[in-house]
Amino acid sequence: MIASIARRFRGASAGYLLIAPVLVATVVFLVIPMVVSGYWSLTHYNGIKPPQFVGLQNYLDVLSNPRFQRAFQNTIFFVVMGMGIGPLLGLGSAILLNDNLRLRALFRTSFFLPTMTSLIVVATIWKLMYADNGIINAVAAFFSLPGHPWLTDPTTALPAVVVTAIWQGFGFETVVFLAALQAVPKEYYEAATMDGAGPWAKFRWVTLPGIRPTIVFVYVIGIIGSFQTFDQVFVMTNGGPIQATRTIVFDLVDRFNKLDIGGASAVAYILLVFLAVLSYVQLRLGESRD
Amino acid sequence: MRSRFRALAGLATLAIVFSACGSSGATTNPTVGPTTGPTGAASGTAGTSPEPTAAPSYDTTPVTIKVWDYYGDTTPIKPTLDGFKKEFPWITIDYQALDWDSMNEKFKAGLGAGEVPDLATLDMTWIPTLAANGALEDLTPISGGRVNGKPITDQYTQGAIDAMTFGNQMVSMLYDFDTYSLYYRKDLFDQKGIAVPTNWDQFRAAAKALAESSKPGGKLDKYLTAIRPNSFHFAQYLYQDGGSLLNPDNTAAVFNSPAGVDAVNIQKALLDDGSGKYWSDADGDLTPAIKSGEVAMFQDGPYYMGLLKSGVPEQSGKWAVATAPYSKQPGSYLGGTGLGIPVQAMHKDAAWLLAQYLLRPEQQVGVFNYAGAAPATTAALQSADLTKPDPYFGGEQPFSVFLESMKTSRPFPYVGAWDDIDVAIADAMQKALLGKAPVQTALDDAVTETNALLKK
Repeated sequence: MIASIARRFRGASAGYLLIAPVLVATVVFLVIPMVVSGYWSLTHYNGIKPPQFVGLQNYLDVLSNPRFQRAFQNTIFFVVMGMGIGPLLGLGSAILLNDNLRLRALFRTSFFLPTMTSLIVVATIWKLMYADNGIINAVAAFFSLPGHPWLTDPTTALPAVVVTAIWQGFGFETVVFLAALQAVPKEYYEAATMDGAGPWAKFRWVTLPGIRPTIVFVYVIGIIGSFQTFDQVFVMTNGGPIQATRTIVFDLVDRFNKLDIGGASAVAYILLVFLAVLSYVQLRLGESRD
Repeated sequence: MRSRFRALAGLATLAIVFSACGSSGATTNPTVGPTTGPTGAASGTAGTSPEPTAAPSYDTTPVTIKVWDYYGDTTPIKPTLDGFKKEFPWITIDYQALDWDSMNEKFKAGLGAGEVPDLATLDMTWIPTLAANGALEDLTPISGGRVNGKPITDQYTQGAIDAMTFGNQMVSMLYDFDTYSLYYRKDLFDQKGIAVPTNWDQFRAAAKALAESSKPGGKLDKYLTAIRPNSFHFAQYLYQDGGSLLNPDNTAAVFNSPAGVDAVNIQKALLDDGSGKYWSDADGDLTPAIKSGEVAMFQDGPYYMGLLKSGVPEQSGKWAVATAPYSKQPGSYLGGTGLGIPVQAMHKDAAWLLAQYLLRPEQQVGVFNYAGAAPATTAALQSADLTKPDPYFGGEQPFSVFLESMKTSRPFPYVGAWDDIDVAIADAMQKALLGKAPVQTALDDAVTETNALLKK
């Protein structure tokens, strides 16, 4: 067996050597930190004194902590609202762009531009827009509508942050869906037309099945990204008001800032396990109908 | 040839792995205790003063110390470094400028990685967490209870010494102080015939008289009084009404007392009658609102003098500072910037030399001249630079007001859970001021949460 493994390695040795740097970087910068963080999650560790093994105590503390529970709740809301609206906007704009309309490249670039802009810049701009004397309230005043403290009202703060995230993110979904739409063979649409299918039927029976793998990809990546929301919250609301925008990753960073490295690591692993299970379920659901 | 290439590539890969896994962060902690700096017996009690000693002798082995400074462009530290280098030529400074936010995160990340400076500017509100985790060096042995040859107790107020002490360790040296007084638009007060308030009733009346509407009959939206829902401002009003945050031995929260309710209600009253402007920490500093005229009165610390001068120069001569109006007694939270030496620092003795240099009166005056902030040592506060008339404040001497305020200021309780307690108090303030919960309920909930944190 060892001889056959050695033989196989000799045969593919050039390939292994070429991927070695990436493998080494992955091990050094991803695998090793993950293992170390996993160990820290089982300890009380402040980064200064040696870690003290406490088993699953950090996990119990985190899961029973009201602020973490609120963070989890807020994150679920963020994901549901963000992924409920964002991909729909992305798909809608991709369908519009899929037609051979004029200046399609300009529209595509415009939709994708926010995605390429720094999260911090986008969050800062939207924070100014949401301000009491910002453009949103100014437009409201123009139409004789009352202004609103969008980011200081606990009821509207989180939806306001989600809107920012949707605005920034749907351009990516647009581009991905557009590529997927263009890969659906035109013959299928022609065949559907010959069978008397209308626009909705074509969308339901040709487009959606044709782009199903892309839909799964968008949702898997999007949900993972949404669960890791931090930058917009940090810039726009700093987790407030009254923890209304505190997210899981914000909770993680907050623990780190309090030198609770063990607790922060436990949050990271809770998020990892949750996302792994969720992604597995999504992928299985995506496969099951094929 | 091919096998030689494979062998070399394999060796290179191994070299990368071993160098990346090698410990670059491990530092050895030097022995604590002065080998440089003033000689003298170390005292077991923070801030006590042994007998004066002979002239200091220094270990002049060349050394480079890392200094992290969060003052930014207006730093009072960087301009002093050339002078320090002339006096201590064997000490080279590796100076890094950071901002306030980055310093907090970088410092804490550095603690975990063992990549720490030898001396850092630290916000006094960070000290409880850092000290409780053993991150800061006890300066008692290294100082021998003295700074620049004089007892520490002679150079700071008692409140300042309390702020620098965690347990029985002196964990930082206060470099600039923060204590609140009342900033108000004097030109508007004079124009409208409003007297400077000295108690809460007058404060409320003044705020109401000051506020205006930009549209006839419309909502009050100009010349408002800033209401800040955070623990600093809550403590301000709480102390003024004779209350406290925690009991004397810091084992239980007591801020849901009648004084605590009053402290929130006075602020809520301004919001309810429209004369107050709700301004959360997430909104940043007040200068945009001051510039637009939206805010014309607020309570804050000396550093706002610098912010006003740089951010709102066109309002020079229109502002004044007065003692904060109080209900039962003057009071304020005491904070500021401390100079801290991490316990993992490589060159503590040299760092202590720099800290002392920065605390000399002539350097402390730079805290005002460069940063517009208030130097922490009492000697510097008497200097001519700080007591001269300030044209921005109508030729008055605002520092004398802050100095008075410092005498009745107290730091936040130094408990390890302070960061979480701070959030609990801020949340309670926000709930009460935004009308999401009755004031007493909001404070009671925060007290329950605080007591649970104190028990941990």
